Amino acid sequence: MITVPRNLSFVTMFEAAADAMVLAEGSGHIVLANPAAQQLFGYSADELSGLAIEILIVPRYRKQYRYHQELFLNKPAQRSMGAGNELMVLSRDGKEMLLDISLSPIRVQQQLYVLITFNDVNRRLDVEEALRVSEERLRLAKQAAGLGIFDYDIKRNIIYWDKQMRKLWGEPSETTVSYDEFVARIHPEDRAARQTVIEYAMNPAGNGEFKAEYRIVDPINSSERWISARGRVYFEAGCANRLIGVTRDVTEQKNIQKKLQVQRDETENILKQQIAARTASAIAHELNQPLAAISAYSEVALHAIHNDGFTSDSLKRALEGCVEQAQRAGRSLHELLAFLQKGELVTERLNLNDLIRDTLTIVSNDGYGKFYLALHLQQNLPAVQCNRIQVQKVLVNLFRNADEAMRAVDLPTITVTTQVENMNGTNRALVIVQDNGPGLGAVVAKRIFEPFFTTKPAGIGMGLAISRALIETNGGHLWLDPDTQSGAKFHFTLPFSP
Amino acid sequence: MIMHEPTVFIVDDDAAVRDSLMLMIEQADIHVQAFEHASAFLSAYHPDFFGCIIIDVRMPGMDGLRLQEELTWRKIALPVIFLTGHGDIPMSVRAIKGGAVDFLTKPVIREKLLVCVRAAFAEAGKRISDIARNKEMMSCLMKLTGREREVMTLAVQGHTNKEIASCLGISHRTVEIHKSKIMQKTGACNLLDLARIVRECDSDE
Repeated sequence: MITVPRNLSFVTMFEAAADAMVLAEGSGHIVLANPAAQQLFGYSADELSGLAIEILIVPRYRKQYRYHQELFLNKPAQRSMGAGNELMVLSRDGKEMLLDISLSPIRVQQQLYVLITFNDVNRRLDVEEALRVSEERLRLAKQAAGLGIFDYDIKRNIIYWDKQMRKLWGEPSETTVSYDEFVARIHPEDRAARQTVIEYAMNPAGNGEFKAEYRIVDPINSSERWISARGRVYFEAGCANRLIGVTRDVTEQKNIQKKLQVQRDETENILKQQIAARTASAIAHELNQPLAAISAYSEVALHAIHNDGFTSDSLKRALEGCVEQAQRAGRSLHELLAFLQKGELVTERLNLNDLIRDTLTIVSNDGYGKFYLALHLQQNLPAVQCNRIQVQKVLVNLFRNADEAMRAVDLPTITVTTQVENMNGTNRALVIVQDNGPGLGAVVAKRIFEPFFTTKPAGIGMGLAISRALIETNGGHLWLDPDTQSGAKFHFTLPFSP
Repeated sequence: MIMHEPTVFIVDDDAAVRDSLMLMIEQADIHVQAFEHASAFLSAYHPDFFGCIIIDVRMPGMDGLRLQEELTWRKIALPVIFLTGHGDIPMSVRAIKGGAVDFLTKPVIREKLLVCVRAAFAEAGKRISDIARNKEMMSCLMKLTGREREVMTLAVQGHTNKEIASCLGISHRTVEIHKSKIMQKTGACNLLDLARIVRECDSDE
């Protein structure tokens, strides 16, 4: 049985309470203030005694306090104050605090007293407020950036997604979606490339980073939106467990990029054509001059033989001229070739498989890449030693050619293979790029590497000629497989890093 | 006027082209003189130069078309044959519009070159005789008196004798006398012929 200690007085409890408490007269003047109140407001007990409660209220809240006090006095009952039960109070040193204030009536010999309890809500509110602000900030940021969030539970094969993503996918109500349904919305042409990236990210040996761009197709009006997705795969016991990330609608950006790319391509093409035309014209002039002289000398010589026999001076002069001019033409050609090959080659150690993946991203960002991909990249392929930009240029060129060749194909597919190839006892990296387009006829195949030879209406016929030169500069070979049944199959080799 | 042997003047910056063409032309017993660049020709030029000029379109410094303009501006009447490489078609069009008699594509064929040169010589002869005839007509016009020239000017503008008479304040009969004198001195057979002579002399002044 619990017994109440006999000598426990009201004052003892009042003094011991952790909450700040003040006993006031009905008139609003303080009679007693407990130590917690003294500490909270920074006044001594004496100072507080007789002080009007109002002094402790932030001036702009005093009217509100008075109103509540009046209500209370008219109908005394325990109550809290303020709209959110909070009032701003003022400490002696001018610090404003948000406190929860409750008023309790105490009657002693017909006299009404008010017990005022100040509850320090500041700390709780601060935390709540901080959380609210941070969530709000996140929400605004997400909204501003158009970010959607997804959480792919790999084992259960379902995706949790937020409102923004559901909106993009045209599924406003479902909070989860099966992975297959999720993928069904993705443009068929983009699925393979995205799958490749996901598989790469799920490899426990990698860093788990996921980065992909793909289109989603509206099932009703077939309109396409470009999505940029970024995320990270989380592993559990060496096994991919979750993929969490954000998506963003980048359609507008893509459209602008595409327009810019078209303009850039046009400009570059015009530039290339002009360079080609000027180069060809310069070469033609360099060679035409000695040819013109040789032609004239030869005719002089012939004429001399017919008319004056073999002894004439002009015959001798003409033949000497012929010899000299033929040699001059040869010199011009050598100088020209030396000029075109000047500059030292800077090479580096490169992971060829990574370079191929990067290049595919570039190609697809450039508005090409509406093809399926089959990557057969040999794992742990040793690093090659070559010039990154030059090899990338060759890859871009091969991918673009393949893409253009497959315009009329139902399921355009580029197969890229990397492997180690032993050639005359030396190991080299071999890259094979094959498309499933109509392929190249024997006549075209024979001339395909010739400068200025092209099968494209707007082409200048330098792409493969330059590509071959670039690969050869890097110590490799580039050739066309003559035996393919369908599609063109280009091979090139590169030396491994020592 | 003293007539020199017609000569082919070659302006080409390429020594071998110059030399081979000279040899080809010399072999056909035609006088030839070659210059390395446009200004070399211009500073060597003498009004007695007669024949034709073969100019390479592409030359450093003053190119062929600029030299052609310069010749026109200096009233050098030598017929111009242009030498062009392949792909210089727009230049060739400009050259022809600028009054070139022909153009030859390098490498040049002997037969075509000689045909061209002979045609140019014929053109040169015609130009010389045109100039001579103009000079002659010019001197005829110089023989006219002041009043006769006034009458002639009005007559070729198409005014009737009566109008000329009232315009100059002389009698109809006096106008008729002036006109017959004018016809006599210029050798014109009718008013139309007179108008042509006046126009040709005007344009040459």
